Amino acid sequence: MKVIENKNVKEKLYIEKLENGLTVMIIPRKNVRKKYIIYGTHFGSIDNTFMLPEKTEAERVPDGIAHFLEHKMFEQKSGVNSLDALTAMGVNANAYTCNDHTAYLYSGTDNFEEALDEFMDYVQNPYYTDENVEKEKGIISQEIKMYDNQPDWQAYLNAIKCMYKNLAINIDIAGTVEEINKITKEDLYLCYDNFYAPANMAIAVCGDFEPEKMLEEIKKRMVNKEYKEIPKRIYPEEPEEVAQKEKRIKMDITNPIFVLGYKDKPKGDMVKRHIAIQIALGTLFGKSSKLNQELTDKNLILNTLDPEYDYSNNYAFALIIGMSRNPDEVIAKIKQELENAKKNGLNKEDFERNKKKLYGDYITEFNDVEETAKNFMVDYFKGVNTFEYLEKYEEVTKEYTEEILRELFVEEKSVTSIVE
Amino acid sequence: MEDNKTQIRQGITAHVIKTNSFKTDLIAVFLTTKLSREDVTKNGIIPMILRKGTSTIESQEELNKKLEEMYGAGFDCGIDKTGDNQVLKFYLETIDGKYLPQEEDLLKEGIDTLLEVVFDPKIENNAFKKDYIASQKEKLKILIEGRKDNKMAYANLRCQEEMYKDTPYGLYKYGYIEDLEGINEQNLYEHYKKLISECKIDVFVSGDVDEQKIVENISKNPNIQKLNEREPIYNKKDIEFQRHEEREIIEKTDVTQGNLAIGLVVEGLGKKEKYTGSVYNSILGGSATSKLFQIVREKHSLAYTAASNYLRHKNSIFIKCGIEIENYQKTLDLIKEQIEDMKKGNFTEEDIKSAKTGIISVVRAIPDEQDVTITYFLGQELAEVKMPYNEYEDRIEEVTKEDIQNFAQKVYIDTIFFLRN
Repeated sequence: MKVIENKNVKEKLYIEKLENGLTVMIIPRKNVRKKYIIYGTHFGSIDNTFMLPEKTEAERVPDGIAHFLEHKMFEQKSGVNSLDALTAMGVNANAYTCNDHTAYLYSGTDNFEEALDEFMDYVQNPYYTDENVEKEKGIISQEIKMYDNQPDWQAYLNAIKCMYKNLAINIDIAGTVEEINKITKEDLYLCYDNFYAPANMAIAVCGDFEPEKMLEEIKKRMVNKEYKEIPKRIYPEEPEEVAQKEKRIKMDITNPIFVLGYKDKPKGDMVKRHIAIQIALGTLFGKSSKLNQELTDKNLILNTLDPEYDYSNNYAFALIIGMSRNPDEVIAKIKQELENAKKNGLNKEDFERNKKKLYGDYITEFNDVEETAKNFMVDYFKGVNTFEYLEKYEEVTKEYTEEILRELFVEEKSVTSIVE
Repeated sequence: MEDNKTQIRQGITAHVIKTNSFKTDLIAVFLTTKLSREDVTKNGIIPMILRKGTSTIESQEELNKKLEEMYGAGFDCGIDKTGDNQVLKFYLETIDGKYLPQEEDLLKEGIDTLLEVVFDPKIENNAFKKDYIASQKEKLKILIEGRKDNKMAYANLRCQEEMYKDTPYGLYKYGYIEDLEGINEQNLYEHYKKLISECKIDVFVSGDVDEQKIVENISKNPNIQKLNEREPIYNKKDIEFQRHEEREIIEKTDVTQGNLAIGLVVEGLGKKEKYTGSVYNSILGGSATSKLFQIVREKHSLAYTAASNYLRHKNSIFIKCGIEIENYQKTLDLIKEQIEDMKKGNFTEEDIKSAKTGIISVVRAIPDEQDVTITYFLGQELAEVKMPYNEYEDRIEEVTKEDIQNFAQKVYIDTIFFLRN
């Protein structure tokens, strides 16, 4: 196995690509009882159109299918539900779907190997019937309605809808009640067979393991599958400009939520870009920023502003999220602050302090075995090794950060979503 | 991993939890006091005032700058209800020196800073700073009004409030808007002085630390030294509670999904039966193999969330469920059927085994999270019990089917709360 070490956080990553194409990452950690494994496929809610090898016409599957498939993985032909079986072994099993990947996972202090049998078995063996597909529609409809009731999720999703005209990131990950009702078992098998091929997947493990031994345990449980080519995903062309400037909806809430979004696109060294944007957003809108102090003193915001940056191979955006009884005034102040920073640059002291803070944040992310393994897997699908954040951290200068700031935070790329 | 306690002064205890599993050291200060209608709002606002600044740290902005300089030390404070007590909580998390670009000791600075925030606030003319009071009162008002925004949590909260009406536990942890008007910089400061002279004080430090050095840091800290000894005033036992005959309360609001919360009371419990309660709850609705999850969600596709939660302090269980509004009666009937099934003993040895394994696994993972470990030991401190993890596990293992069925006979539905349109 290849070993990559980071001296700051004093951790090692053991990584190997198996013959069938699966990537395995192991991060051994002493002095913890909890062990964690995450098994993911680079297939998420935005992957609804693709071209099978040797075909000329693209397949279009219903929205929400990646999430539906995730729900349906637990049921086995034997009648066993793997979620129940894993729970009965005392491990904490779960699964989730995002825009760019789907993942299955469990953590536990005991019975890890016993659970590994069940776990690797269910992820590699789908069992869909007309009946079990039908049954799931009721459950997922309630899940969709639960999200419909969540103002923060609606505010977030509307900001994405404003930014993206064509990319399916603008549809709820779970789909719509109407679309999921179209899903058939054939659709599910089509997606499974093509996107749950080993070459499209990765496993990350963290806990008290001998890496070589752990790798053997995984290999031994691999279903014998030949290397298979992954279909070409087809993404609609997404313009640089935003789809819509603003969305406002009303819900039964007392504290309006706003999301100010800036549409970016993946380019250059995304790790450096990500670090720079995090420092910039921290400097301008973090807890010690002048703007935060002003907004808090005037009770214009309920909590500190929550700035974040997200990207994959197909999208990138920055969001500034907050709760305010006067969202328009707060948004105007945020935009003014960005303009000032673009014009005058960032304060050196504030920049250095926020850079230091970010170092601490990166180290803290390694506290937990779950977060550690998950970060490695999620970053892997973006073509990144999580240690790169600590490695490239020093390279990010104030000048570079200001350059990114000027490029990203422009009025034409901004959108506003408000739930009030 | 254990809780090494040192009494600094009567009513003030230092706890050191030594561990080398983390990249961080966590410091926590807890002020525990009786939950009462009279003081609940004042206590609710105090952490919000204290975080605004100290005698030497001019403002919240300055405090945040200081924390960022310490490689982004995490700071948090808040309010919790633990049984019939209100606990004011303050946390500071520092990066352990080994993981810094140049090794340095941030821990002492962290301890001193946190103690200063809690015990040496910014004072003007023998009162809290006036403009802080106004802005934080407004903020607390917004916070209290916002409790309705998360519908599922709100339905659960309302169910608890109705069930425990007129007892301390029925109080909302942040307090009440109508109290805010009467709070000013003088009377709040007076209240604060009384609070810190009477409440129970616990200081926890978890990390790869030198225990003796930490205890010395705490006991020699000037802000600790100025505190008096006290017979701390807090509720060691919860107040007796008279259950209601089963009743339905329906509240209407603008929702697309109905939220059902059901409060169950367990009456006449022996001390050891708390462990039985955990197993009972796990079988009823505490996991993915539970009756509620299997029947309400998997078999009848009525809900995505169908779960129950056991409140050990209160001997009560709360069920929550997000459903279509027209499925209310059907869901309720199914849930009642599950509660009846528990009484009749309609669950298998396998269910029991699975429940126990799940609970034990959670207990075993406690030392893997610093804040969870601290909360575990604080709970024991307040209940005046000492229960190492392995003993906890043994107690769970001992629970038999008969115990669970006996327990089930003592479970009564108290309040059914439904939030709908």
